[in-house]
Parts: sequence; structure tokens; C-alpha cells
Amino acid sequence: MKKAFEKLFRSQVWRSMFRHGLPLSNRTRAEAVFYNFFLHVHPTKVRKRSVKFTYTWGLGGLSLGLFIILVFTGGLLMLYYRPSVAQAYWDMKDLQFVVSNGRFLRNMHRWAAHAMVAIVFLHMMRVFYTGSYRPPKEFNWVIGVFLLVTTILLSYTGYLLPWDQLSFWGISVGTNMVKAVPFGLGDTISYLLLGGTMVGENALVRFYVLHCFIIPVAAVVLMAIHFWRVRKDGGV
Amino acid sequence: MNSLRKYFAIASVALLIVLAVSPLKDYFSEWRSYQYQYNALVATLPQRVKPVPIGIKQQWVQKFDRVDRCETCHLGISEPALKHAKQPFTAHPNIYHDIDEFGCTICHDGQGAATEYKESIGKVKFWEKPILPKDFMEASCAKCHKEQNVPEAPILNEGRKLIEQSNCVGCHKIDGYDKQWVPRLDGIGSKVNRTWLVNWLKNPKAYFPQTRMPNFLLSDEEANNLADFLMTFTTPPANASLEKLPAQLASASAAAKAKMISLGATKFSEARCISCHMINGKGGYVANDLGKVASKVNETWLYNYLENPKRISPDVEMPRFRFTKNNLADVVAYMEDQFVDYDAPQPPPYTPDPAAYEKGLALYKHYNCAGCHELSAAPKAEEMGPELTYVGSKKIYEIDFGQTTIEQNLPSYLKTKLLHPRIFTPAMKMPDFGFTDEQARAVTVALLGNTDEKIPAAYIVHPKPKSTFMPQGDFGKLVRSLSCMSCHVMNGNGRLVATDLSMEASQVQEKWLEGYFKVPYSLRPILTERMPNFFLSDAEIRTIAGYMEKVFIADSIEHNVKTTPAAVASGKGLFFQKYGCQSCHQVGGKGGYVGPPLDKVGSRLKEGWIFHWLKDPQAYRPNSIQPDYKLTDEDAEALTAYLMTLK
Repeated sequence: MKKAFEKLFRSQVWRSMFRHGLPLSNRTRAEAVFYNFFLHVHPTKVRKRSVKFTYTWGLGGLSLGLFIILVFTGGLLMLYYRPSVAQAYWDMKDLQFVVSNGRFLRNMHRWAAHAMVAIVFLHMMRVFYTGSYRPPKEFNWVIGVFLLVTTILLSYTGYLLPWDQLSFWGISVGTNMVKAVPFGLGDTISYLLLGGTMVGENALVRFYVLHCFIIPVAAVVLMAIHFWRVRKDGGV
Repeated sequence: MNSLRKYFAIASVALLIVLAVSPLKDYFSEWRSYQYQYNALVATLPQRVKPVPIGIKQQWVQKFDRVDRCETCHLGISEPALKHAKQPFTAHPNIYHDIDEFGCTICHDGQGAATEYKESIGKVKFWEKPILPKDFMEASCAKCHKEQNVPEAPILNEGRKLIEQSNCVGCHKIDGYDKQWVPRLDGIGSKVNRTWLVNWLKNPKAYFPQTRMPNFLLSDEEANNLADFLMTFTTPPANASLEKLPAQLASASAAAKAKMISLGATKFSEARCISCHMINGKGGYVANDLGKVASKVNETWLYNYLENPKRISPDVEMPRFRFTKNNLADVVAYMEDQFVDYDAPQPPPYTPDPAAYEKGLALYKHYNCAGCHELSAAPKAEEMGPELTYVGSKKIYEIDFGQTTIEQNLPSYLKTKLLHPRIFTPAMKMPDFGFTDEQARAVTVALLGNTDEKIPAAYIVHPKPKSTFMPQGDFGKLVRSLSCMSCHVMNGNGRLVATDLSMEASQVQEKWLEGYFKVPYSLRPILTERMPNFFLSDAEIRTIAGYMEKVFIADSIEHNVKTTPAAVASGKGLFFQKYGCQSCHQVGGKGGYVGPPLDKVGSRLKEGWIFHWLKDPQAYRPNSIQPDYKLTDEDAEALTAYLMTLK
């Protein structure tokens, strides 16, 4: 048994991933932290009071957790959903009636999305009321605001995808509101979003791509910076 | 630290349980249990019925763009052995379309994609087409079947007929229906008496139960004002003037009058007025009831009308009978004497209103009388009801059920509306057509079939294009004056009460035809509609016969039959022994009453027609009850030879 492990630790595959030996000496223990992404993003020291649950209420972590749930369920939903006017609604009906656990997937995705908007908002309130936006964390506050915006945009773009009356009119109202943007930009932005002048096939594809690719990627990049900064500033 | 672990453990277990709920719900789904029940059921049957593999069953009906999963639970749908099984396993009753080709929801509505009972019948939020109640099933035929007579759909056909007859298109736009002829109201003031008019406006069906005129539920005041308004129109259409009554009628002594009345009675029956008209509920159905007409119209109008109906009332179907002046006076005297309404209801109390004209005109416009009637003072239909071309696709949220407690769906709304037109909101103006429950259901069925559903063009059965055949020349003038097409069809145009004349001259001999017009008689004594006697002149009869001989001919039914004694003898044998024709037809005073008597058939019909008729009767009259014996040419020729000897 022990020999087998030793053989594993000496193998090239293992050593290419973990470039240090077993953490038996101070040096290798330090290396284990430096060379590991997940350990290295931790701050070098954490204040005792900030470990306390009621200090952060774990809202940032909960948001991340919900985001992971959303990515997971969303990925599975993508297996069944086709963003086309003729099929979108019926694919949703299929998820409801014939896909194994399809209804569970949809409901998980939906409730997690609602929860994420709420929790991200609470997270921002917590940061505000505890004054955690003050220097040196002012940049991270800005990143956080962007993250709030991406969360809301994710929620909004997902709203159109079931292609029922509610989503159709919801997006019609939203994109008409966009038209009120001054300096002649409103119509352009609305046109850009919809791929036309009304909610139709083009809008559905655009919202689908925004919802499943562009905004999530942006969110992941922003989150990476956000977490890095949190850690570097001594947060959990 | 220990307590945190405890929390973590509890949370993990809770998560596992939560995650198990969904697969368990999937596993213990409703449809699975039905499929196990089905397999248990078929195992007990004496017949061999295959159990089904467990799993969702669906039909993808590509052409109608739908997926139907009904057969996931309705497993015995094409299994005759399960005819009497309980639902959802019952076999589908006799069906005219292939289930695999058409799916279920194209006819039944409901949510085909669903796999749960409640969702599938569609009585859930956000499903716009819940399952169509059984009573209204035939509505679905109308989605594709736009033709006049839809096979196997009597209720739908009845409903469409009622929509057409009731002239719904007067107030509602509905594609596919023609506006019906309705009398013009110009000249009504010199036609009817005011008391009758008020009673009529209050309740038309009290005077004539079969009338198409609906009851507008007018108040006494409204009826009085509308009647006063209408009575001001005394000039008949096209400025026709009413001639004065002839002196013999206007100022006849009592004795002379009595004589006229008895002569009039004879002419009235000779002309066979009751072939089209009812007398107090008995008689023909083509025209209205004359039983109380003397209490409705005045004598002068009646005289002028009978003299030339279309002069006083253009486009009316009533033919012009060729009465002599004296006979005309006799008939009028008879009708005035006989057809009096002794039980006319008391008219409502009446105090003349100086603004009656304005108020009457406003009512006339409000109730859209112009939708059906023409009147020079208000020529345009102004207050139309909603369009009904797509009423079958009306959404529930578009319907105002008012204070009613009826089932909240479209069929029950439409039916209730037809039975009680003003029940939902008092502001509704629709009149009461006096439909029975069955009729209201039939109309509802026809209306529900008017959907905006997109059906591929290949599946739509279009109505046959209407024939516009209208004979011209002297014969054409006679046809219009005698309104032949009100009962006869010519080259596809006309109403089929009597016979189709399109190949009449290939069927009957010219001599017989001329004789027939002198004294028309019914070939079938059991029929109620009989050819009226128009008292035609010899010249007119020659015009008719001459035109028919040239035009109403079908070369395809020419056929020469040799009348050799051998053929005649063989035909006689076939007639009496092999086919037993005498069980329906009379020959020599013996035989049945179902078919026309054949005693003088040899001088009536042409041999080519007899031959072709015997070979395939239904090819010429699809509803004929003459049996099709699939005769050989020899048999048909022998029978023809025999029949042609019966002169």
C-alpha cells in the first residue's frame, strides 16, 4: 500500500501537478501553499473577527455557490433547449413532462437565479453597512458593482428564453425602456440587443448567447479579480 | 468545532434527501402507474392483447406541428378488445382518420405534450385550448372541412345551416356564409297594419313560429316607436305604386262576395299554394305561413302582390301565377275571408310620441335592422357585432362571463349566449333567436370550428365552387318570373326541393313534358311538395320545353335499346321475379307506394335514361333509395325494353 503511494508520488503525472514533495519539512510545506492555486489565494493572515460568521454572513460564498449551481443546471438545460421561436417553448414543455428530472433542473435553475439576485444584493448591502468599501478596498467595491450588474443581466436575459407570453412582453417592455437612453443611443442599443426592432427569432438567439456565454464569461473574469482582491485584502 | 461538524452532517443528509425527491417523483409518476395497470388489465382479458413496454409513447405529427403523448396513458386506443374497458384504456370509437397520421389534439384540443392528467386536459393556467367537451366534438371537423355537407358530422352541418338561415352575417362578419334574402322595408307602411307590426316586433314567433326574424326583446315603448317609424314608409321599392282594388272586389255585394270566395278557394288549391306555404303550421316549408295573413297585410297590397310579386317586392322568391283578373280577385277575396287571426294578442298601450320617428330611427340603427333589411332611410348597417370568422380561437381571458355561474370555457359561453343573448351584460344587443338547446349546441359547434389554426393547405376540404348558371333569353325570363330555382337545380345552381333539371330533356320525352306543364302532378303521391300550377300559356310552355330540349341534355346517357319481344319478355321476368320491382313501384294498379308508379313510364321517360338509371342510380341521385343491383348491360337493356312498352 505504502509502496503503491510512493510509486504514485514519484510518477511524472503526479509530479507535473504537484511540484513539491510531501509536506514534511517547512520548505515543502511552504511550497505546497505557493504552488497551489486554491491555497495560495488565501490571505497570509486573517483577522480573528472576520472569521466570525455574523461578520460577513457568508453572502459572498453563498453567491458563488448559487453561481456554481446555476452553471451546472444551466449546462444540463442547454442539452435540451433550442433557442428558436418554433421550438423554445416546446423544449420547455418537454423538460417539464418527459425529460428525467427535467422539472427539477428547471426549478433549481430558476430558484437559484432568484436567490442569487437577492443574495448578491444583500451582499452589497452588507459591504455597504459594514463600510467594507473603504480604502484600500474601493476598487473591489467597483468590481462588485459590476458583478451585481452582470447578475441582474444574467437574470434578465434568461427571462426571455422560455418564450412564453410573460417573457415576450417582459423583454418588449425592457427593450422599450432601453430606447429612452439619451443622446440617440437608446434605439441603437435596443436594436443591438434585439437584432431588430421587435422581439423575435434574432432577439431569442442574442439573448441565448448573452445568457449562456458572454455574460457568464464576463462574470467569471470579474469574479476571479474580485476573489483575488478579497483574499489579498484579508477577507475570507 | 464538533457542533459545526454536526451541522455539516445534517445539512449533507438533508441535501441528499432533497436530491432524491426528484428521481423518486419521476419514478412514481402517474403515467407509469397507468401503464402497470394496463398491463395488469390486458393479462386478465380472454383475448390476446400485448402488454406495453414501460415508457412514454408519443406521436410526432409533423404536418400539424405538434407532439401528442396521449397514448402514454390511453394505451388501448386502437385495441378493439378494449372497447368497453374503463378510461384511460378504452378503445377509440369508430374513427374516420388514421390516429397515427393525425394525432389526438388536432381534434380534441388539450395539451398533447403533457404526461399528467390535469395538464393534458389543459384545464390549467396558461393553457389556452382546454380539451373540447364531447358535446362539441364535431367543431373540430370544421377546422379542415369547409365543404357544405361534412360527412358524419350532422351537428356541424345543422349548425352551419342555422347560421346561414338565421342570417348571422347580417350583424357579424363570418367568412364562408352568404347573406340571405330578407324583405325590404320600403313600402311596409302600405303593406301591413300597425297593430300587427307592433305585435310582430314584440314577438315575431307568436305570429309565425318558424320565422327567421329574431326577438329583439323590445319594450312596449320601443316597439311602438319603431312601428311608428316604419309605418311612415309607404312607397314600395323602386317607386312601384299600388293599384287600386278592382271595383268587383272593392264593392261586391254579399252574395257576389260569397261566390268569389268559393271560386277563390278552388283556384287557391289548384295553384297548390300550400306546396310552399303553410296554413297554420301545415304545408310546405319553403315560404311563410298564410294562416293569418289577412290580419297582417291589407287587401290592396295583397292584390297587387299576387298580380306580380316581384314588382312590389323585388327579388322575392314568390312566382308570378298567371291568374286572370277575375281569378285574382277571387283568390284575394278568399284569402281575406279565410286567413284572419282571431287570437291576435292585444297590442301594448299606446300614446303617440311626437318624436317617434327620431326614436324609431335610433332604435333601427341601434339594433342594426339594416344588417338584414334594406330601408332607404337607413341604408347602411352601422352597429355590427364582433367578427366571428375566428371565434373558435377566442381566448378565455377575452370573454366577459358577467354575473353568470356557467362553466368558464368558450363552448359554454357561446351556447349560453345563443340561448340567452343578453345574459352576460345588459348592454348586449343580440336578439333572441329562440333556439332550442339542440340548435344552440349545433350553432356553437359550427362557430367553434371557425378557428385561426394553421392547417396545411393539402388537408383543407374546400366547398365546391358555387355555380352561377342562370338561363338567359325568354326561358331565363320565365325562370325568374316563376322562381324555378327556388325548388329546382339547373346546372348546379338552385335549391334542391324538387328535381335537378340539368339533364331533364335526356330523361323525359318532350311530349310528356309539354303535357305536364298544362296540369302538373306529383310523380310521387307521398311527397308533400308538389309542383304548383302556374296557369302557363301554351306559348310559355313551348318556350320552356324548347329550351330544355336544347340545353338540359346529357349526351352521355343516350343509349339505344332494341325492343324485341324476346327482350321485353325477359325484362318482364326480371322485373317481377328476379328483382321484385313491384314491391316499391306500381304497375297495373298493383305494387308499392315508395317509388313512382310505372304504368305509363314508356311514354314519360327516354330509354337511355332508364338504362343508365338502372345501372347506377346513385351516380345521378346520391341520396336515392333505388337499389343498385349492379345490373349487367343485358339485364338493364331487357328491363328498359320492358318498361318502354308500358305506355
